[in-house]
Amino acid sequence: MFQLADFSVSFGTATALRRATLDIRQGDRLGIVGESGSGKTMLALALMGMAPDAATISGRLTIDGHDMTHATEATWQQMRARRVAMIFQEPMSALNPLRRIGDTVMEPLIVHEGLSRAQAQARVLALLEEVGIPDPAARLRMFPHELSGGQRQRVLIALALACNPALLIADEPTTALDANVALRITDLLVRLAQERGMALVFITHDLAAVARTTKDIVVMYGGDMIERGPTAQVLSAPAHPYTQGLLAARPDPTVPPRDATGKRRRLPTLPGTVPPLAALPQGCRFSGRCSVELPQCAGTRPTDHALDADRSAACHLLGATP
Amino acid sequence: MTAPLLDARNLTRRYRLPRTSLLHPAPVLTAVDNTSFTIRAGETLGVVGESGSGKSTIARMVMAFETPDAGEVLFQGQNLHALSPYELRLQRQKFQMVFQDPFGSLDPRRTVGWSIAEPMRAIGADTDTARRTAEALEQVGLPARDADKYPHEFSGGQRQRIAIARAIVTRPALLVADEAVSALDVSVQAQILNLLMDLQDDLGLGILFISHDLAVVASICDHILVMQHGKPLESGPAAQVLRSPAHAYTQTLLKAAGVST
Repeated sequence: MFQLADFSVSFGTATALRRATLDIRQGDRLGIVGESGSGKTMLALALMGMAPDAATISGRLTIDGHDMTHATEATWQQMRARRVAMIFQEPMSALNPLRRIGDTVMEPLIVHEGLSRAQAQARVLALLEEVGIPDPAARLRMFPHELSGGQRQRVLIALALACNPALLIADEPTTALDANVALRITDLLVRLAQERGMALVFITHDLAAVARTTKDIVVMYGGDMIERGPTAQVLSAPAHPYTQGLLAARPDPTVPPRDATGKRRRLPTLPGTVPPLAALPQGCRFSGRCSVELPQCAGTRPTDHALDADRSAACHLLGATP
Repeated sequence: MTAPLLDARNLTRRYRLPRTSLLHPAPVLTAVDNTSFTIRAGETLGVVGESGSGKSTIARMVMAFETPDAGEVLFQGQNLHALSPYELRLQRQKFQMVFQDPFGSLDPRRTVGWSIAEPMRAIGADTDTARRTAEALEQVGLPARDADKYPHEFSGGQRQRIAIARAIVTRPALLVADEAVSALDVSVQAQILNLLMDLQDDLGLGILFISHDLAVVASICDHILVMQHGKPLESGPAAQVLRSPAHAYTQTLLKAAGVST
């Protein structure tokens, strides 16, 4: 349905997204994992046709076979809400505080589907029920500040689902929420995707959330897609040195902080920090921080090496060893 | 056994909420209810819970920003809340705090050297600040010349290092870290956690480490206190709480923290 081919977004000499290639099919649940500055949010904005005006775009984005790479805003408005919708990190600032939530959720139904207010209201009730909001008829008349953070996120999910999108993009949907509320929201997203046969793109830096939610993942670093494959396989046996370092750096709650002799266990770390966009190395974006770097890494961009039928990683090291 | 560095006994803190009716007294929220814990020098206590569980109120009472309604905080045997304002100010050099937001906790118009030296000025010890600032910067892994730079020149992880330098410049015995790594990326988070462990080993710091993330707490804490709705749910040695959590709530936190499903 959604296809990116060699898709790049750049600002002058700074490349926020470099030659991204992605295929999203019906029923996919795809996780995009990366740290700040990895390009994961730029990818989401590109899929929504919301890349900043100042950006230079190259490559190709097709939706249902239509080339959307340089589509006009009017074309995108036809696409958004019906084909692709998005939910954001901060459920408070994404809702208009002066509008009742019923009116907010109704808006896309009236604008895009031309329903009357009465028809739209009936649909909104069903939607709020579907996303697990108790007593939806009373909630319709409430303002965002009267709801808890988890309920606001549910309202945003209802809003995104209003026009039955084929793809739902969730950008850090649980980062602002408490642990057990976050668990319920990720469970809800999985259930909705399965029941509706909707594709889900789940963008996060939270490896635990991505493990619970998605079937496949793409790991991003410095604007490059550096590793991809089934979630369970990538997380249990990461191939790219960056993915390995990222997973090792994540504390494991089952390992006690001191070993048998009472000495502290230090966490394995990745040296340094993500460089600014304009200062990223031309070759492998991870070169300079990588522990197993080869001479060609800094200058030549590694290509994807297939590891399996559905797994690949972009690293020169994998090409060197047969 | 030596006396603990910090001994918090039966802490209770209530807040009066806005009145909802003319006819009834204002409702009262008990933010922390009858909570006790101790921290020894060189050890870390992790307080875990979600928003509203009372963890930050505990930090504020330990830092003597707020007075408990019942109970007391004994720091090196002294009841912090019974001290005169002047005595408290002098004691403050021995317990310092690191906050969550490395962007909001540094003054953007001042050099980081100025910010790091501020606790020294606050206790009137303003001789020797340049050398102590340089020393603190080196202890957190930054070059001493960074003292002349401004916060915007640093990344989030580096800013959190600066905030830690500010907290250790007075050579405290206790460090209170309230969600100190929550705003950082995973790889940077690990660097800061290692830094805290190194500082603890070098300086013998006691650390009160507050977080909503059980995985982070597990990596650094010797003891864990789990809070929910202001009440202590369970506490004990980290290994024991993590291996056999007594409460369903602790299990939920563990599930949320685990990569394995």
